[in-house]
Amino acid sequence: MSELRIVNIEKQYGSLQQTGSRAFSLKPVDLAIQEGEFFSLLGPSGCGKTTLLKLVAGLLEADKGELWMGDADLTRVPPEARKFAMVFQQPLLFPHMTVEDNVAFGLKMQKSGKKERIERARNMLSRVGLEGYGRRFPNELSGGQQQRVALARALVTNPRLLLMDEPFSALDPSLREEMRELLGRIQKELRVTVVFVTHDREEAFHLSDRIGIMSEGELLQVGTAKELYEQPASTKVASFLGMKNIIPGAISEGRFAATSAGVDFPAAEAGLTGPAFLILRAETLQLMNSNAQTVRKDRWNFEGIVQSLRFNHGFYTCKVEMGGLELECSLSGQQVQSISRGQTVPLAVDLKDMYWVAQ
Amino acid sequence: MSQKIKPYLLLFPAVAAIVLLFFGGLFDGFLKSLGYFPALGETSFGIAAYNDLLNSEAFWDSLAVTLRIAALSSVIAALLGAAMAVSLFMLQASEKGRSSRFWQRLFQLPLTIPHLVGGYIIVLLFMQSGFLSKLAASAGWIGEITDFPVLVNDSFGWGIILAYAWKEAPFVSLMVYPVLARIHRSWRDVSRVFGAGNWDFIRDIVLPVMMPAWTIATFIVFVFTFSAFEVPFLLGVTYPSVLPVYSYQLYTSGTLADRPEALAVNIILAALTVLLGLVVYYFSKRWNVLKGWD
Amino acid sequence: MKGFPRFIKAFLFLFLFVFIVFPFVPLVLSSISYGWQWPNVLPESFSLRAWEYVLFGSSDTLRAIGVSLSIALIVTAVNVVLAVPAANALARYQIKGKWLVEAILFAPIVIPPFVAVMGIHLTFLRIGLTETILGVVLAHISPTLPYVVRSVIISYNTLSTDWEDQARMLGAGAFSRFYHVVLPHLLPGIAAGASLSILISLSQYLITFIIGSGRVVTLPILLFPFISGGDPAIASAYSLLFAAMAIGTLMGLDFALKRYYRNKKTAAGKTVEE
Repeated sequence: MSELRIVNIEKQYGSLQQTGSRAFSLKPVDLAIQEGEFFSLLGPSGCGKTTLLKLVAGLLEADKGELWMGDADLTRVPPEARKFAMVFQQPLLFPHMTVEDNVAFGLKMQKSGKKERIERARNMLSRVGLEGYGRRFPNELSGGQQQRVALARALVTNPRLLLMDEPFSALDPSLREEMRELLGRIQKELRVTVVFVTHDREEAFHLSDRIGIMSEGELLQVGTAKELYEQPASTKVASFLGMKNIIPGAISEGRFAATSAGVDFPAAEAGLTGPAFLILRAETLQLMNSNAQTVRKDRWNFEGIVQSLRFNHGFYTCKVEMGGLELECSLSGQQVQSISRGQTVPLAVDLKDMYWVAQ
Repeated sequence: MSQKIKPYLLLFPAVAAIVLLFFGGLFDGFLKSLGYFPALGETSFGIAAYNDLLNSEAFWDSLAVTLRIAALSSVIAALLGAAMAVSLFMLQASEKGRSSRFWQRLFQLPLTIPHLVGGYIIVLLFMQSGFLSKLAASAGWIGEITDFPVLVNDSFGWGIILAYAWKEAPFVSLMVYPVLARIHRSWRDVSRVFGAGNWDFIRDIVLPVMMPAWTIATFIVFVFTFSAFEVPFLLGVTYPSVLPVYSYQLYTSGTLADRPEALAVNIILAALTVLLGLVVYYFSKRWNVLKGWD
Repeated sequence: MKGFPRFIKAFLFLFLFVFIVFPFVPLVLSSISYGWQWPNVLPESFSLRAWEYVLFGSSDTLRAIGVSLSIALIVTAVNVVLAVPAANALARYQIKGKWLVEAILFAPIVIPPFVAVMGIHLTFLRIGLTETILGVVLAHISPTLPYVVRSVIISYNTLSTDWEDQARMLGAGAFSRFYHVVLPHLLPGIAAGASLSILISLSQYLITFIIGSGRVVTLPILLFPFISGGDPAIASAYSLLFAAMAIGTLMGLDFALKRYYRNKKTAAGKTVEE
């Protein structure tokens, strides 16, 4: 009904801007975000995700492009009139106002009556689990509590869109998870549209309906977490999502020859020829039982020498060497018991799990 | 586009006020020092005033006495101020808390006293029939009023020097203390681990750290005392007088002919202070005194 | 090590007494003396004559205090209005020729302002600004404005634009942003600058004398004839009054600010995130 449309927005920073002397440009971004959707922009720091967020907020002015909300053109509307809300990395609570007054600030700006705004502020505070904290001052609250107040302050005006700029990155890991749960729950309750900026993969995967991956001022790929993970559009996306086994090489006559090693892989199903990358997700590499040599047509078997084993919450990361290539695979604790460093182990990967990206 | 000119619009009123009221005045004075008095029908330029001035003994005497007073007052104020700042710092280091803040406030009292009052305090204390003289007499050290040295309205300028030392020492400590306060408590502990005593600590850590800010503060006191009027007007002698007083004497002497000379003294004074100011600025940048400590 | 702080404390106490308390002793004694001949350490007799004269003897004193304070307050108000936008520009914007702007604004700290005032005197005379309060106010601006600008710049430097962005996202327009977010943060800096401005304006003698031509009687103008050779008792009483006025104004401002924050129950300067 009223989706957010970002139409070819771009932004160029000259050297005169305050954001640093380095020139930076955001390449044209074209994106539609559904009402009630939780959309994350994921990318390393300096990739332009915050710039894009601020362009949507109106805090930065785009050089080109348009911003639409439903059938309203917001491109020239100043940020204070867009009826958006934003939560920053820092809570930015006004230190001279009580928690309640902070939460009610947006309502005050909308000229609603004092009684109503205090009531709505209290209501929202109890939603974020801070009932009874209204009369306190921000400096009497912990960092996590302050960020909850900031969330309440953003949500109390029923914004058309909630923008969040790494809101939990300044918090402790345990607190971060708690805030994640809280945000996820409230977002579903209020059905508010969220654009969430983060550099934390887990956070984005946990919360988002869809994710946009950004790098060096460019929106690389948009999709659900599963789509991005299983079908990254480029090696950049794959490596940012933490995939380790990205092997450069070339495909010809149904075989893939790795550039840096004397190994080749079956590539009949790749559907492409010429220079390409092979991506093998760590969990698709399976450790075979050496006794039962079950050779199947849809599976490729090989042998590797165990280089290292590392415990990694709940599973093991195992590095094996195979014909000059180093591959990483995930193994369970049970599997690890039967192998040791230096040992040659049989491994296999299903052909359908081999993923190809043209170079 | 409007974003580009916004800062200049924001600056305009303040800059216009200073340009009009201050630089306008300087320029106005400069023109008149060259003999340009359209109101009196004088529209020609000349450097007669400067010529007369530079050839007069009175000007050179005045410059000498001004430099002497400024140098002595700033050095004395610097020593007193440093002593105050270091004592306060050591007190702060040995006991944390409120009492040292109270001391700090008390030490700044002379800063808030107007210069005229400060000058008068020195008069009452140091004049030949003043309080110290009375104390000395009742202690039997002196027998006559004239036994007490002439320290107020004396031709050397001791009264002025004493007044400035009293007024400006707290200023020096105010400049130096925040720098000292940045010396982390742990530095003291570290130095103790390496076996440094209190004196070693002061000599090897406290003094080097405060040196740049201290020097700059001293310079600032120098520039200020060089160009201040009230205290020497009250505590000085008619001849030789410091430059600002000399200029005032010329300006109010009654004959309009002396006015260009008075304004010429002012212009020379302004030029000298700008020069001194640039020296302060250069060293404060070079030593990074003001950066990072703000 | 143990005896050290005690030694320092003793030293500080002596220093404090000699340096700060002692100089005031003759001033106070003199103001309540009735004849004080050398070599008596204490006045022969005491009297409140001088204080009576100063406070009630004529309406001059009260008028002078009134004139001094009004000039100081008007000058300071003008300074704040001029300084806040200028400090904003200097602290937050990229400006071409910033060094020039700073050199212009801070020049009166270095170059003695009476130089400019003497220069502009005849022009003021011609346009009828001498002998007026307005003229004196204008003359007091250049020695005071730089200090206000400096203080406000320091405040602006610690205020990240994120705060205003946050207020913006909550729907605050330009005025609301300044009133609700920027101003509360700047207040301590404004107060510090205003204190300096008031103090400097109150203690001006020469500038006021040149432009006021003796007709605009501030407390220093009233005081001067007495301390340069008048009745010592009256001179002392006036001096104490003058000092008290300066200190009183500063403490008043300090107190008002503290009360403002006590009402707001927090110290804004401290809780600002980096």
